[in-house]
Amino acid sequence: MTTLLEARGVTKIYGGGLFRRDRTVALEDFSLRIEPEPPSITAIVGESGSGKTTLARLLLGMTMPTAGAILYQGKDLRTLSRREWRAFRRDVQAIFQDPYEVYNPFYRIDHVLHTPLKKFGLVKSEREAQQRIVEALQAVGLRPEETLGRYPHQLSGGQRQRVMVARALLVRPRLIIADEPVSMVDASLRATILDSLRALTRDFGVSLIYITHDLITAYQISDNIIVLYRGSVAEAGHAEPVVQEPQHPYTRLLIGSIPLPDPDRAWSEEQEPSEIGRLADASTGCTFANRCPYAMEMCLERHPPLYQTERYRVTACYLYRESPLLASEHLDEAFVRPGVAGPAVATSGAADDSTAGA
Amino acid sequence: MSDTSLRLGQTRPEPAAQPRDGAEIVLDVRDLRVSYYTPRGPVRAVNGVSFALRRGEAFGLVGESGSGKSTIALSLLQLIKPPGRIEGGQALLDGKDILSLSEEEMRRLRLAEIALITQGAMNSLNPVMRIRDQIVDAWKDHGEPVNGREAEDRIRDLLRWVGLRPEVARMYPHELSGGMKQRAVIAIAISMRPKVIIADEPTSALDVVVQRQIMQTLRRIQRDLGAAVILIGHDMGLMAQFVDRLGVMYAGKLVEVSPVRDIFKDPLHPYTQLLIASLPSLARKGQLQGIPGLPPSLLSPPPGCPFHPRCPFVMERCRVEVPPLELKRPNRLVACHLYERDEGQA
Repeated sequence: MTTLLEARGVTKIYGGGLFRRDRTVALEDFSLRIEPEPPSITAIVGESGSGKTTLARLLLGMTMPTAGAILYQGKDLRTLSRREWRAFRRDVQAIFQDPYEVYNPFYRIDHVLHTPLKKFGLVKSEREAQQRIVEALQAVGLRPEETLGRYPHQLSGGQRQRVMVARALLVRPRLIIADEPVSMVDASLRATILDSLRALTRDFGVSLIYITHDLITAYQISDNIIVLYRGSVAEAGHAEPVVQEPQHPYTRLLIGSIPLPDPDRAWSEEQEPSEIGRLADASTGCTFANRCPYAMEMCLERHPPLYQTERYRVTACYLYRESPLLASEHLDEAFVRPGVAGPAVATSGAADDSTAGA
Repeated sequence: MSDTSLRLGQTRPEPAAQPRDGAEIVLDVRDLRVSYYTPRGPVRAVNGVSFALRRGEAFGLVGESGSGKSTIALSLLQLIKPPGRIEGGQALLDGKDILSLSEEEMRRLRLAEIALITQGAMNSLNPVMRIRDQIVDAWKDHGEPVNGREAEDRIRDLLRWVGLRPEVARMYPHELSGGMKQRAVIAIAISMRPKVIIADEPTSALDVVVQRQIMQTLRRIQRDLGAAVILIGHDMGLMAQFVDRLGVMYAGKLVEVSPVRDIFKDPLHPYTQLLIASLPSLARKGQLQGIPGLPPSLLSPPPGCPFHPRCPFVMERCRVEVPPLELKRPNRLVACHLYERDEGQA
């Protein structure tokens, strides 16, 4: 079984060259494998500057890595033939935050929905095409009669975004890479759209990489979560323990900052960085040390490697240095594989639960 | 008060959402109506909204896009631009109707008594002016010329108050992070010690960690100042963490106004119930339940209750009769035919 999509030791540096001070390491030594079976949902969570959008662009072949490679069915994206590239473009679909630039302003919305159906030969007749399009629009909460026949600028950002989800529903690719697909959508609809994405995995075997700043929705739909901080993995593994018992001080900060819709669970106060943390210079050592309440001497010297703290979790933090190391290229070995039949994944903290259905 | 709000063509005015516990009211909004005149017809963006803001409280206005919440903010500062128009209602700030002020009177009132922090506030800073000059400008604009030592002291105190270092005074907006810019915006907003601060999605462009810092700063300042805050937004989590009372907007109307704990524990309006049920939580995994259907088009709103086409409890009466916002339980106003009026308190 060939891996569908893989990031192998990927680093992306912007700037550099003559003006080395401008060098920004957007992503550093990142590896991830998405297998064709079983279909899975992987969330990549981070704030601005975490590298999550760079990662999305790399995985989609929109930009090439400075080091390492992105592989589609085992082949470096840089070496794909025209035919293979076409297959890649069908198999791996994107949904972006505000997809305005995806649309050609001179074509009606219908165009962006018809094109993939025609291009990939997915329907037999115009009638079938129309029917599929209407169903897809309704599935994401759009009124077909108020959407079709209109131009991109006549829709709101949220509506355009839903059209892109509808488009992804139509193409039925093998993997969808969704970068903040619901951040501009109202709460009551957000649940509807996320549920339709999840249904895509459940009913049609489409895998999903869900890239977001929102840990709650990430937790709701994903099997595994990767928390990125300034271009590196801070913590990753089974969504349940990562969110319920976060280990990395950054993940703890992130979860503690979420305004929970419960007036009785008040926001906690943010902890100050430790004395040593205050001395930290972000260019060496742990990238989080200057904000970390637990920063120690060793944190200032070298960025921590990944420690496998549980069967289904890794944490890049010296607080867990007693745990065995996991090489970053084997990150997905700490992931739960969702059961093929149903959502049965290992429960919280189940360190020696065997992978279901594998 | 005069009866100018009872003008022709206006239906029965909704009762002012008065709190009954005797707390002092700083801002009393009565039957506010705002329309936008589009080529396809008038859009009734705010359709008879009444609420009373207590001195020093944090009041939330939550609603989805198009529910009219931001239009309320703009009307209270008379910032509605054509094709929008305030069609009726009053907003009594300490008894004085600010909707009937002249442009010049309103200009003097802004910042001094009522200040607005908007969604794009960070971009409202002048990019070519140092932060200190923008603060001094606001003061000068209100006839408070401050110079020399005193000005510098006041600016330093103000910046410290919002959690900024004194050096920030000499910086330009582009030298500041998003969170620092928003703090600078707050500093300007509170520089004249207003009684009412309207914060319209003040943190929607910020990361969650910075959002918490900013909101905690805003709360501290609000308490120090004794100012009332109207927090406008769509994030129920932020509301739960920040406000004392919450008003839920739907299709240009308030459908429920209650103490925030009551709303989350026991939502009364069916829309509020579904909205809260749709929130993804960290407690339970696997439940993602949206609200079926779509908000009505404000160009041709349905007759009766605006929520009736989506309401699981819809009755015949709901299709024809608009439910008024009334006291249905102690301290709880709901616009829904499901509940009997609470006579005990009236």
